[in-house]
Amino acid sequence: MSIVPGLWGVRVFGRGLGRFVLAGLCFAGLMLIAKGAWIPAKAAVAQLLLERAFDRSLAAHAPVKAWGWADTAPVARISVPRLGRRQIVLGGGSGEAMAFGPTLLPAGAEAGEDGTTIIAAHRDTHFAFLGELRVGDAIDVEAVSGKRRRYRVARMAVVRWDGFNVQRHPARATLALASCWPLGAQARGPLRYVVWAVEG
Amino acid sequence: MIIPVPRLSRAGQRLAAGLFLLLLVALATALIAGRLDAADGEAEPDAIGSGTLLLQGKGVAEAMPAVRLGTDMDVTVSGQIARVRVTQAFRNTSASWMEATYLYPLPESGAVDSLKMVVGQRVIVGRIKRRVEARDIYEKAKAEGKKAGLVEQERPNMFRNSVANVGPGETVLIQIEYQAPVRQQGGEFSLRLPLVVGPRYVPPQSMADATAVADAGAVTAPLADPKLGKSLNPVSIAVHLAPGFAPANLISPYHKVAISDDGPQARTIRLADGSVPADRDFELRWRSATADPVLGVWHQKQHGKHYVMAAITPPTADAIGPVPPREMIFVIDNSGSMAGDSMAEAKKSLLHALDTLRPQDRFNVIRFDDTLTLLFEAPVAASADQVAIARRFTEGLDANGGTEMLPALKAALVDADPGSTMLRQLIFLTDGSISNEREMLEEVGAHAGRSRIFMVGIGSAPNNYLMTRMAEVGRGTYTNIGSAAEVEARMTALLDRLKAPAVRNLKVAVSGSAMEIVPADLPDLYAGEPLVLLGRADDLAGTLVVSGLIGDKPWRTEVRLADAIDSPAVARLWAKRRIDDVEVTRWMHVVNDATADETIAQLGLGFALVTSQTSLVAVDETPSRPAGERLRREELPLLLPAGWDFDVLFGGAGAKGKADVPGGGASVPEEEVEQVELPETATGFLGTIGQGALLLVAGLVGLWLMHRRGGRVPA
Repeated sequence: MSIVPGLWGVRVFGRGLGRFVLAGLCFAGLMLIAKGAWIPAKAAVAQLLLERAFDRSLAAHAPVKAWGWADTAPVARISVPRLGRRQIVLGGGSGEAMAFGPTLLPAGAEAGEDGTTIIAAHRDTHFAFLGELRVGDAIDVEAVSGKRRRYRVARMAVVRWDGFNVQRHPARATLALASCWPLGAQARGPLRYVVWAVEG
Repeated sequence: MIIPVPRLSRAGQRLAAGLFLLLLVALATALIAGRLDAADGEAEPDAIGSGTLLLQGKGVAEAMPAVRLGTDMDVTVSGQIARVRVTQAFRNTSASWMEATYLYPLPESGAVDSLKMVVGQRVIVGRIKRRVEARDIYEKAKAEGKKAGLVEQERPNMFRNSVANVGPGETVLIQIEYQAPVRQQGGEFSLRLPLVVGPRYVPPQSMADATAVADAGAVTAPLADPKLGKSLNPVSIAVHLAPGFAPANLISPYHKVAISDDGPQARTIRLADGSVPADRDFELRWRSATADPVLGVWHQKQHGKHYVMAAITPPTADAIGPVPPREMIFVIDNSGSMAGDSMAEAKKSLLHALDTLRPQDRFNVIRFDDTLTLLFEAPVAASADQVAIARRFTEGLDANGGTEMLPALKAALVDADPGSTMLRQLIFLTDGSISNEREMLEEVGAHAGRSRIFMVGIGSAPNNYLMTRMAEVGRGTYTNIGSAAEVEARMTALLDRLKAPAVRNLKVAVSGSAMEIVPADLPDLYAGEPLVLLGRADDLAGTLVVSGLIGDKPWRTEVRLADAIDSPAVARLWAKRRIDDVEVTRWMHVVNDATADETIAQLGLGFALVTSQTSLVAVDETPSRPAGERLRREELPLLLPAGWDFDVLFGGAGAKGKADVPGGGASVPEEEVEQVELPETATGFLGTIGQGALLLVAGLVGLWLMHRRGGRVPA
């Protein structure tokens, strides 16, 4: 009985503070959700804009920026007919570009050209479908130059980020699609998933 | 009795609110920590899941190599020294011009001093050059289409042969020669010929810079998939044994042999099956038919200097009184490379050792893979209960994961009472399949203190170099257990030896001449382990006096240098031992890297030895590859050492590190392959949303709780 009045004031004060902290918590939670949700939203919206820019690029036979302040431009369109996926590939290979679409790694060949073309994208946005690809699937690449090539998935591999070797002059044009491995995981890691496809 | 329900429930509510707040703090902390971790993820190159041995990008060879290799070893043992001629035949079965490299082991005490390349009827003799220079000569010859052979040292017990421009259907022989002292322990002589380099675990944190990454690449090779069978790299062996006495109890514990008499004091030993797969070390042991031979002194004069080798055997330890209490730390390796027979042998050995503990002893058990467990926080008394706990712990061990030996060593070296006179002994049971030997030795050199380190090498192809050096720097001994049948005999012998060093405080003095003696830092001597001393002097006179303490009594023995027997191997053995000493001073930071490298280079050039700084190179000046023909490079795959478990090593990661070229076999022209770094490709947005949702739910639940409480109690 006697301790209750002593604690009373503390509790009233504590309740005000508690409400404030809890409200702050809710707000922080909402902010994080918004920040998280923004990523796939941005990725999806960017692709719509890029699609338009790509069509204009095709007509112009040169890369056209999707929006004025964009620092990269579309270089190719890849599509997987069996899965009904289409994506616009950006040049440059930078992390910023990857937020908007798959990017062409400058270490590889140009899109649609001879040699090994390497395209990387985030495993949880544009390249989430890599796991659905099967050996034998067709992958079409259409470059801004108008050149088209059809590749067939030959095999898949898991490699370390620094343990990935490509052949400079393969007998047939080769396409490598790379993303982080394991595909569904949240933690970062050194492993990458690579889908190899060859022309034909 | 009226129970004040509302008040209790209010107290309960307060408790609930308190707990809830605690939960929130914990959650927030976890989130922040989680985010920090995520940010650090890139800095840590290898957050890979456990269960796989990390092999530096060489992976598994699933197809037979284009270049086939056959090895012949011809060994002549005279007295205490073995001279070994290793002939490797590289046969190109493909239609292209090939370059092949092969990683192979030699005894850690072996000194390679000769290289011959045989092309058809021509023999080209190799020259000793500084490592970089030799590599340049080789690369130039390779580019010009000339046949070239190169022998490089990757570790003191690991060498790499390269041969360039082997034409289609052609065979090139690379012949090297080395010598090594015969090992003697407890009256038994043994010769060990390592035949395979076990895959090494490369600790990810050791790969800090480009040099370290290149080094890790140098000590690993692709592994042959077991489905290719054992017909790769066959080895034939012949040993001509002339020990200087009638040999008896001749045993080859791991291979079937056929023995023929060449006279009363000579034998020839050959493999019974002609040739064997190179998947486990060959060992030959013998004793003297008469009483234990008295070992002498050997001598060689070269370039005006006298070189001496002396083997000093301590008296047998029958005079040891009651063994004083000891502190024994057992460190057992249960990493993936131990999977299979090795783990069973290690466990059996440890159980055997635990049985010999007495209540007055103190002990602890540490197990490691890429994680580490200390059975007790600190060493405990070896009571029956504690030993029983340790037995159960040992029996439950499974082999898996990487080999992070350094943290285990550090934990074992933590000494609560460094000033104590009690014997403190570390017993390491491992195959030593690691590539960061240097870090290990530095740690032992810096922090061994009063601890003595005893290495027990487990398995068919342990890393003998690491074992020998750690035992030497740690002032203990090295015992090898190659099969389960040997566990009891070898462990009993080791544990007997461990009871007390036979001779302590060893000192060596030479009367009559100034002599440069290696090893400079003398170990404790244990019963049955002779001390092998190598010396260099301007003239040969006087006596070599070895003195020390047996128990508390002084002991001394003398060797007359004039009695030395001539032997053509002593000078090079001295140089090899001197190089080992330089390496030790390097680990102890007594000399810097540049000085150590230069000293080693001078010794290598002076004695024509392959060292870390010098290589042998041979070039056939006749160009053979026509201009315009492309050269293909191939690194020959190695067999997995016998008893290793392929599936544990590569479990779930079979695809990792294969030649990442579709349709490309193991041989793609070198200049055609390019390494590309793959970017980090995960936004982790689901994680962010999940964390946000957690925070939101937590906040809402808290508000709801407060609201309920606020409604019930009027303010």
